[in-house]
Amino acid sequence: MTLTLYHCPDWGSQVIRLALEELGLDYRIRPMDWDAGDFDAPGFRAANPQGLIPVLETPEGPVFETAAILLWLNARHGGLGPGIDEPEAAAFLSWLFFVANTVHPGVMALIHPERPAGPGAAEETGRFALERLMVQADHLEALIRTRAPLWLTPQQPGLGHYLGILIRWAVYLPEDPGQRFSLDPFPALKAMLAAHEATPAARRLAVTDGLGAHPYTAPEAA
Amino acid sequence: MYTLHYAPDNASLIIRLVLDGAGISYRTALVDRATRQQDSATYRALNPTGLIPVLETPAGPIAETGAILLWLTDTHHLGPGPAEADRPVFLQWLFFLSNTAHADLRQIFYPHQYAPVDGHAAHLEIMANRMLRHFGLLETAALQHPKLFAAGKPLGVYTVTLARWAHLYPVNGPRWLDMAEYPTLAALARAQEARVETRVVARAEGLGALPFSNPEQPNPPEGSVL
Repeated sequence: MTLTLYHCPDWGSQVIRLALEELGLDYRIRPMDWDAGDFDAPGFRAANPQGLIPVLETPEGPVFETAAILLWLNARHGGLGPGIDEPEAAAFLSWLFFVANTVHPGVMALIHPERPAGPGAAEETGRFALERLMVQADHLEALIRTRAPLWLTPQQPGLGHYLGILIRWAVYLPEDPGQRFSLDPFPALKAMLAAHEATPAARRLAVTDGLGAHPYTAPEAA
Repeated sequence: MYTLHYAPDNASLIIRLVLDGAGISYRTALVDRATRQQDSATYRALNPTGLIPVLETPAGPIAETGAILLWLTDTHHLGPGPAEADRPVFLQWLFFLSNTAHADLRQIFYPHQYAPVDGHAAHLEIMANRMLRHFGLLETAALQHPKLFAAGKPLGVYTVTLARWAHLYPVNGPRWLDMAEYPTLAALARAQEARVETRVVARAEGLGALPFSNPEQPNPPEGSVL
């Protein structure tokens, strides 16, 4: 089975590359170059009309949306999270959607605060995004402390790596140092991410894609 | 037996229409937003974020509209299963609806959570333009995948409900969506409206006679929209 991932290091496609690597699957990388216009190329837009990565080419056609790709891979190959017929699927899906529709867009607003309401409102828009992210991190911290779900451990690393990449961006990408997220108030979340960045697959990709020694807990520029 | 924790014309409406459309039995439990019951310890134990809906199932409570739709799809075969060829298309548009269309529409409903007051005008313009692009992508997707975006099915119900809310909320906000520009979605709205469960649910939640083709402010017999 041939899988091809449209990829830029440290973009959203990193989440899928981590999943592919964790599963030990054969896959190809199709490097994407923003400046060369790859994201507007008609062939790419046919795969994802939004013009965003990740896109994974599969034998059944292309799939876009990070979480959709994670679930498709999990159904095919297992190992990224609970299967749909397992009782834990109920909680796993709830939190996967929460990360995809709340944490992910919130982090994008934090690292691009000029986008939601224009450059004039960027400082306060970014501050609002950081405040929301702190509340979201509280929910995740409580979840890990009270439930310690298997699907937030390296045994089922799909969602953990997704959170790792988002938190990484929130820590090092905001231009204003006062708007950078810190994991320090969230020790359980930090420990969960430390376990994920230490897996052999994550360590291999940290070198390949230049993510540094501790991509989630002590991120630095790629 | 499932229990759907709901408030009128909240995202629980999407789940209610899909459950009724598939003939799945459930009971409802009103979350009274007028007394901020969604912040009560009991409700937060079901969903720590306090958001509506929650569906209580034998596997435990499920939060998040998209998660409930996916779980119901797989449990009751309401859409393509994991091994079917159109599963990738189903999943990608379900997440697009949840994390892009619904997430951006929410910003229009609750601008004070996202931008300072003096940025609200710019925020609305930016978000409305984004939403128009999203509806454009959904129009094309619904045209290409009519079975997945059928009335009564998860993607169809989710899409027409977002379009309904764009016409209604925030209550005193400007209107920026003209469904005539999206003929496939307009036809989908009429098809959803013609289904018997829409009349039943519209009566239960006070949504009026034409809740998708000509939405008006709801007048629920119980509970509070906001």
